[in-house]
Amino acid sequence: MPLEIQIQKSIAGQDTGAVTVKLTGSLDTATAPELERQLAPVLIPQGGIKDIVFDLAQLKFISSAGLRVFSSTRKTLKERNGQASFVNMQPQIQEVFEIMKSLPGVAVFKDVAELDRYLAVRQRSHLNQ
Amino acid sequence: MTMELYATAEEVMRAVERLQEFAQAQGLPEKTIFGLALALEECGSNIVNHALQRDPQQKFQVGIEKTGDSFAIEIRDRGPEFDPTAVAERPPQAVEDDLPGGWGIQLVRRYMDEVRYRREAGENVLRLTKRLTTPPREK
Repeated sequence: MPLEIQIQKSIAGQDTGAVTVKLTGSLDTATAPELERQLAPVLIPQGGIKDIVFDLAQLKFISSAGLRVFSSTRKTLKERNGQASFVNMQPQIQEVFEIMKSLPGVAVFKDVAELDRYLAVRQRSHLNQ
Repeated sequence: MTMELYATAEEVMRAVERLQEFAQAQGLPEKTIFGLALALEECGSNIVNHALQRDPQQKFQVGIEKTGDSFAIEIRDRGPEFDPTAVAERPPQAVEDDLPGGWGIQLVRRYMDEVRYRREAGENVLRLTKRLTTPPREK
C-alpha cells in the first residue's frame, strides 16, 4: 500500500503558522523515508514552523519506521517550544501508539491524548479569533 | 505459501501484502491481520536493514502457514548470525536509536504469541506464531 502525503500550511483552514500533514495509506519501512524527505523542508529552522498536526484519519498501517519519523519530528518541534500532534487515529493505529506509550523510555508519546485535547482547544480558540 | 524476496524495503512490503491477502482469504479478522502484517514488516525490515545490510542482491524467504488453530510466519536468511529475540527489553537511549530490534521487536512480541529464533545450517530462522482460537474463559 503506498503513502499519500498532503501538507497544508494551516490547521482547520486557519493560517496559524502551523502545518497539517494528512497521511493516506501505509506508513512503513518503504514509505517512511518519503515522509521524512517531505518533512525536511517544513522543519528547517528558518521556516518558523513550531506546530505540526498529523491527521491520521486515512492511515491504515503504521510500523516502527513510521513511529521513528514521528518521534524525530516531535523532538525537533519540542526543541523550539512547539509540538507534534496526532489526530483522528483509526483504532488499530491508536493501539500501536498505546503499545509504544507503555514501553519504558518512550516519553515522546506519553501525552498524545492530552495533545489531542489541547489541539481541540487551540482549534476552537483559532476559530473564535 | 512461501516467497523468496530481495533485501529491500519494497520487497518486505510485497511480502506483507501477500500475507494480508492470504490471511483475508483464510477468513482471519482484520485486527489479527493487522498484527500479523505488522509483525512481518518489523521482522522483515530488521533482516533487510541489519542482517542483510540492505544489499538488494541478497535474498530472504518468508513462509506463511495456517494450521488448525494457529498462523505461523517463518522468515529465513543467510546473513550473519543474528537473533532479534536476544535484544534486551531496554529503553532506546536516543530518538534515532537504530539498535537492531529496538521498538520493532517489542511490537512483534505484543502482537504474536510466540517468537522463536534458531540458527540452522547457516541460516537465521525466525518463527512467529499467532494462536487463532480464544482460550476458554475462566469461570
